Amino acid sequence: MEKIAVTINGRICEGIRDQSVLSLAMENGIYIPALCYHPEVASSGGSCRVCLVEAHQGGSMRIVTSCNYPVREGLEIKTDTELVKKIRKGILELLMARVPDSDVIREMAAKDGITETRFFKDEEADSRGKCIACSVCTLVCEEVVGVCAISMLNRSREKSPGTPYHKASNACIGCGACAYACPTGAISMVDTGDKRIIWDKEFRMVKCSVCGAPYIPEAQVDWIVKTTGKDRSFFDKCPSHR
Amino acid sequence: MSTIKSFDQLEKTREKLRAAVKKDLPSVLICFGTGCQANGARDVAKAFEEEIGKQGLSVNVTIGLKTTGCHGYCENGPLVVVRPQDILYLRVKPKDVVEIVEKTIKGGEVIDRLIYKDVNTKEAIAQYHSIPFYSYQKRIALRNIGNIDPTSIEDYIIQDGYKGLAKALAMEPEAIIKEVEASGLRGRGGGGFPAGRKWRSCVAVKSDVRYVICNGDEGDPGAFMDRSIMEGDPHSVIEGMIIGGYAVGAHQGYIYVRDEYPLAVKNLQSALVAAREMGFLGKNILGSKFDFDIKISRGGGAFVCGESSALMRSLEGKVGEPRAKYIRSVEKGLYDKPSVLNNVETWNNVPMIIMNGSSWYAGFGTEKSKGTKVFSLVGKVNNTGLVEVPMGITIRDLVEKIGGGVLGGKAFKAVQTGGPSGGCIPKDLADLPIDFDSLTKAGSMMGSGGIIVMDENTCMVDVAKYFIGFLVEESCGKCTPCRDGLPRMHGILNDITEGKGKESDIDTLMELCDVLSYGALCGLGTSAANPVLSTLRYFKDEYIAHIRDKKCPAGVCKALITYRIDPKACTGCMLCAKKCPSECITGEKKQPHVIDESKCIRCGVCKDVCNFNAVNII
Repeated sequence: MEKIAVTINGRICEGIRDQSVLSLAMENGIYIPALCYHPEVASSGGSCRVCLVEAHQGGSMRIVTSCNYPVREGLEIKTDTELVKKIRKGILELLMARVPDSDVIREMAAKDGITETRFFKDEEADSRGKCIACSVCTLVCEEVVGVCAISMLNRSREKSPGTPYHKASNACIGCGACAYACPTGAISMVDTGDKRIIWDKEFRMVKCSVCGAPYIPEAQVDWIVKTTGKDRSFFDKCPSHR
Repeated sequence: MSTIKSFDQLEKTREKLRAAVKKDLPSVLICFGTGCQANGARDVAKAFEEEIGKQGLSVNVTIGLKTTGCHGYCENGPLVVVRPQDILYLRVKPKDVVEIVEKTIKGGEVIDRLIYKDVNTKEAIAQYHSIPFYSYQKRIALRNIGNIDPTSIEDYIIQDGYKGLAKALAMEPEAIIKEVEASGLRGRGGGGFPAGRKWRSCVAVKSDVRYVICNGDEGDPGAFMDRSIMEGDPHSVIEGMIIGGYAVGAHQGYIYVRDEYPLAVKNLQSALVAAREMGFLGKNILGSKFDFDIKISRGGGAFVCGESSALMRSLEGKVGEPRAKYIRSVEKGLYDKPSVLNNVETWNNVPMIIMNGSSWYAGFGTEKSKGTKVFSLVGKVNNTGLVEVPMGITIRDLVEKIGGGVLGGKAFKAVQTGGPSGGCIPKDLADLPIDFDSLTKAGSMMGSGGIIVMDENTCMVDVAKYFIGFLVEESCGKCTPCRDGLPRMHGILNDITEGKGKESDIDTLMELCDVLSYGALCGLGTSAANPVLSTLRYFKDEYIAHIRDKKCPAGVCKALITYRIDPKACTGCMLCAKKCPSECITGEKKQPHVIDESKCIRCGVCKDVCNFNAVNII
């Protein structure tokens, strides 16, 4: 792993060649707002565009998304220039108009001093809830869980994650990874007693033999047993009582 | 035909095929492009076959009858060319066939009714190559289209087909790349990236596997140059790809064609089969020990799949979405392998460059945009269709000389170039040379080569609204600026055209343009603001007229116009009243008529039908 020096807002930061600008900034305590990037999902990022920064290298400047821009020796990053702030303001206002109910977006915008949007709320705003169509949920499902129960459906402003034909999916194991990874809390997962409802499908939960708390869907246990060969009895107890 | 195993054998086959062509034979070429087929070319071909049979003449013995690819002059189809006289007949119907066989083929006589008539000079021209639409063209990419039967590999070989490949296979791959670099060939798909440099960067990446890809996902409204090439000269694309594959060390190629081009898919498929049978594809091509093959992949109809990274994802069987190109596809492309993706027209130029040499090709065009470019010339212009001209031709020459000027003698206002995310260039810049850099500098782009001519009755705010509307629907939805920014932009433009515009709208639009240009993920998004940026740059006064004065100067935006009958000019013929769909025109016979503005739906029928120019838009 090749160590290199990168300048972020005038500060020299030591990083590893090809790591993302965002991860290097985070390691150095430099704040860059970001939504669609998830450290556990390799191909996430690049979609919400909130993490845009100025990248200067070899005498030229371009605006790039810090979440997936690879760092190279001599790279100079500026996260808060007038241009970056102007573009980010536009993007945050667009997101505020898209998902007016999202507290995450509202708080993120407030950090930049933005309290309202100039743009109109469209007719789909109510039905899409808090979803910013960033694809993190579908990428987690595909790349981390490995079941591909959901994918991005439709295009343009109607793009949204969902199961095929919006029907309860046989592939879904109810693990909820999509809901945990969602940056805006847009995915509904309701746990009541020994039941969990997610993506219009009901799952029976396994109870911990020690504390009695329902903690994992049966379908998820089946999936893990099938794909890893782990012994089923392992799931008798919840993580705190193993 | 048996497999050709060496360069010598290819030349011998070519000579043999040429010798078999009876040069003095009269021949009839019928355009079988999509446009002409839709206009009834198949019935015309059938009528010719029947008539030739009936008259006791026999096809291929006394008369050569051939169906070809698109001649480009589609609005006048079906087109029929009679040789050796080189006579072009337009809008031929099956009932004209008897006369053509009788008079032209047997008698050598020209049928005046069917030949070209210049709308401006009224001159009638019989010879194909003397018609201004064709005489100003320089056909390199379209070299064979209209001359050959696209389903016949023999026809292609006769026209020096696969000669460039044979020459290339005898060269070192490095020498081929040098030759393509020296030719100055730039990508014809829109970006204009130097093709040779792209190939070289691909070779520089270490990998066992590489791919070459042909982008045939032409999606710009009104553009059909790639379709025409794939339909009319499929082997030229295949030959270019084999040369590219050999140069970069790829053994597999893919042609991505949009599924809405069934004839292109069909002709490419049959060309691949023929090329395989004759040994141009497969193992040990022409005895060179080089192996290469091509697969066709059909697109599902998403505009974004014309973007290279989205196209590659789609080829992999995934949802076609672009990705960040911080690591370029020449390094990590299809299946994460180094990949060279070029457009149909780019690949089609390659065999000509290798065969005739880079300096020959670089002899056409301008300093930084070499060669020729195929344009689809459409809109308010007399001659519309597909034209190929050297780079650097001025907008004026294209519109006036080849296009025959603006339709109906109206004033020329602007051209829109580069597809939906291109821009509008005003008449003041009519002497601008058309090349990659001049167009970009003027706020538009070459794009794939769409040229839409606009006359004085075009509202530029409405034009911007139309293109942004197209992009709103075709945005893939992956990134915020494009997915959510374009609908807002469209909403503001819509308000302006409906007379609900605010003074602050122009600033908001400019800001949204920046959000898109700097903030969007792919080339489609970063260029999507061009329709607004270019119209604001050259036609800002029209925006202001809509917003401040609530007027549409071009008389297009319905909410801002009123139809009124000039009582002095009105003869009381009652035609407008009869045609008015909302029955809001009243008046006695031979007395001036009046429009009830409260009921008028501003459809413009009254103005269209009035023979006395008495209906005005105010």
